[in-house]
Amino acid sequence: MSSEALVAAFTLLSFGIIVAAVAFGSAIGDGIVASKAVEAIARQPEARPNIFTFLFLGVGVLEAFPIIGLGLAFYMLLVVVGVPNGLMQHFAH
Amino acid sequence: MHEQLGEHTIWQLPVLGSVHGDTIVTTWLVMAVSLAFFAWIGASYRSAYVTRRQTVVEGAVNYIADLATSTLGEKGEPFVPFFIALFVFIFLMNQFGILPFKALGLPFGGSPTADLNTTVPLALVVFFLTWIVGFRELGFKALGHLVQPFWWLLPINLIEQVTRPATLAARLFFNILVGELLFIIIANIVEAHVTVGPVNLSLSVAIVPFFIQFFNLFVGTVQAFVFTLLAIVYLSLAIADDH
Repeated sequence: MSSEALVAAFTLLSFGIIVAAVAFGSAIGDGIVASKAVEAIARQPEARPNIFTFLFLGVGVLEAFPIIGLGLAFYMLLVVVGVPNGLMQHFAH
Repeated sequence: MHEQLGEHTIWQLPVLGSVHGDTIVTTWLVMAVSLAFFAWIGASYRSAYVTRRQTVVEGAVNYIADLATSTLGEKGEPFVPFFIALFVFIFLMNQFGILPFKALGLPFGGSPTADLNTTVPLALVVFFLTWIVGFRELGFKALGHLVQPFWWLLPINLIEQVTRPATLAARLFFNILVGELLFIIIANIVEAHVTVGPVNLSLSVAIVPFFIQFFNLFVGTVQAFVFTLLAIVYLSLAIADDH
């Protein structure tokens, strides 16, 4: 196996690991934020607009991390190694 | 795809050196659009009746103004126009990426916020605003925030002061950049005609850009809101004198 193919293979593998890890973490975080918001609204329905504001704040801050992770992973995949170009050449007829 | 990610039209200016021309032109366009929009809103105040557009915009402005005054208290009143301008400016810059200027071959287009040269100055504006207002409100007691709650936490507080604008800029930048990146990647996959046996897999993802654009609309709105709200929170932390 050539070293280029090896680099491409491990880059694909690390891309998968990065995306899976950030998706896992942010999904748990989003779940905690949403469940606490539902609890708070159930306890105090009159505070709903306030809770919604901070729900969106929390989700917005939280969603930045998977997107930054995804951006760095794509950067690694596309710019540093240039994997999809080679991949597409294999598949495209 | 001819469109490459992170590729900008470079202008060579006499004093400033090389700058990203497309980002600057798109930002000017956004400024013109927002000025025209607010002129249009303002013109409705000349009539004796309350118009529909006036009511709609007042609702949105009141929402941000209530957020600012409930977090900052009475001291927050003078900063309400700044936060509204910040929100509208970032929101419009985020949504400008939808318009296909670059795809039509024009030398501008794309979201200006998908460029660190836009987001870092915005974050620095918020950073300097918090410090200048903190000094104006509290004098040199504003430096006391760096030694809260114990003096030996000074290094951690200094790191926090640096990471606040850094994360503010990086969060906005990466959110918008990845939105554009996903679009380019899906377009690449559709164009590549990946076939497995008789099935053309590329055509099956041809619907996905539609949903990505919905995602971008949502992300652009939420990130503009988060940027504004975090600016309010940082300002409220800077002018709090409860130590």
